[in-house]
Amino acid sequence: MELADVSMRDAVGRLLCELGDELGDLVIVTADVGKATRAYLFGIKFPGRYFNVGISEQHLIDFAAGIAVAGGRPIAIAFAMFLMRAWEQIRNAVGRMNLNVKIVGTHAGFSDHADGSSHQSLEDIALMRTIPNMSVVVPSDVADIYRSLPIIVKDIKGPLYYRIGRDYSPRITNDYDYEFKLGKAYVLEDGYDVAIVSSGPILYEVLNAAKELRKLGVNAAIINLMSIKPIDEVTLEIYARKCGYVVTVEEHSIYGGLGSAVAEVLVTKYPVPMKLLGTSTYGRSAKNVRDLLNYYGLTAPAVAKSVIELLTMYRR
Amino acid sequence: MESISSYVRELLINIHKNEVNLHMGSTLSCVEILTVLLTKYVKRSSNPLEKDWLILSKGHAAPALYALLALEGLIPYEELFKMQSIDSMLQGHPDTSIAGVDVSTGSLGQGLSIGVGIATWIKLRGGSGRVYIVMGDGEQDEGEVWEAITHAVVRKLSNLIVIVDDNGYQLDGRVCDIKPKYFMPFIWSTIGWAVILCNGHSVSSLISAIDRALVNEKPTVIFAKTVRGKGLKQIEGTDIQRVELWS
Repeated sequence: MELADVSMRDAVGRLLCELGDELGDLVIVTADVGKATRAYLFGIKFPGRYFNVGISEQHLIDFAAGIAVAGGRPIAIAFAMFLMRAWEQIRNAVGRMNLNVKIVGTHAGFSDHADGSSHQSLEDIALMRTIPNMSVVVPSDVADIYRSLPIIVKDIKGPLYYRIGRDYSPRITNDYDYEFKLGKAYVLEDGYDVAIVSSGPILYEVLNAAKELRKLGVNAAIINLMSIKPIDEVTLEIYARKCGYVVTVEEHSIYGGLGSAVAEVLVTKYPVPMKLLGTSTYGRSAKNVRDLLNYYGLTAPAVAKSVIELLTMYRR
Repeated sequence: MESISSYVRELLINIHKNEVNLHMGSTLSCVEILTVLLTKYVKRSSNPLEKDWLILSKGHAAPALYALLALEGLIPYEELFKMQSIDSMLQGHPDTSIAGVDVSTGSLGQGLSIGVGIATWIKLRGGSGRVYIVMGDGEQDEGEVWEAITHAVVRKLSNLIVIVDDNGYQLDGRVCDIKPKYFMPFIWSTIGWAVILCNGHSVSSLISAIDRALVNEKPTVIFAKTVRGKGLKQIEGTDIQRVELWS
């Protein structure tokens, strides 16, 4: 598959079409957001295997569960925010029966910048992570999607939540060479003063923060934690031991998200001083994603400043 | 078949004497419905496209399902008397870890959506399997039921048959006091379902209704009028779910 320079949702839409050729049992289910999620591209190519259930997210999930229980390979795709109203269906049907349903949440984080707090999903990782049997994957950019989605759809059985944004998708990982494996973290930049763990488009800020930190003489290791659950305990422990400080950065609430997942590992494996960067309240409307990152203190300079604060607090 | 349902009813009452925490009112109202389905209609097969599926969407009536699965030889008879204990396979609500249980339920309003998914997949793949779903009348309160019944019509699911155990009660009391549902048959019908009314304690009435449903080209719902707690005189026709003290 050729890597296209498009938005995350476009990348998912195109990839699903390619996978539909290969997998005769692949079924796409959406809830009146076929156009917005780009699921409709699959529908044009494979109308018999594309189901738009209407504005019915609870039914969307159980309908997909029914297809899976009878032997199909469904992907339920809708806005991350509104999939969460079907949390209980995801928990009680998909999770409890351990069904092979892939759930793709689009427009996650701040990516739906204009629609504001009702649409900006900043709690979905926390909600999905608590469900037994459920895996959670957060790709950082289009390159990460091309690495991971085909493997997830073809080779990984069982429930999995896949979180992507709408349009804002800076190139982040194109120049890095790694293959996706569920449960594996990727060290994008090695370092020894602090480990910064992140995933999603916000990883772009982290890489830029690391450049600023290097100018100040701080060598930061950057870890792309694409697979939040299962989580790569080994890599996290190695880098906690090596660096002694860990900062997490996420386009999500600090309560229950990526930062919490990392802290849960380190508190039992090798506790080190940590700082969790993310949100602690609702989003709001803005003209673009960058305005929101700035407003919530999640740009590269803000991340760099937080790292310095953490290091000085304990070195004093 | 009447003798089977009487036997099942008696068996369930005996089990209840050992285990108080059963939803007996809701269980006893659907004994004939499940007996007719499992002894006459539901076709077993290892092929998911050729077998018939039975979803007990009102999962709290699990004891009735378990009793019939035991009669079918799918689960050991002795297990019935261990129901809900820590070392028993029989969970309070149906679970796919139990032989003969097609879909895990327990959370109301979800069984129909799952059934619409199964029936859609069977049709897509050209299978002959049917999907039977047993719901409660109180369950009609759930918004997801609306989401599912409107979608089933769009998919033209002639292989989908729903039986509503219309026992007139929900957890907090009579449905007519909490949220009336007398209009439900009209709603399902207006949306595009074939609607059949029958006596849910009469084997012949149920058979006649299901036979008609089998030849419908639309999805069919059967509103089966029943009595809550049927056959257990301490609770029959009341909102009492269980006998707490046996004299």
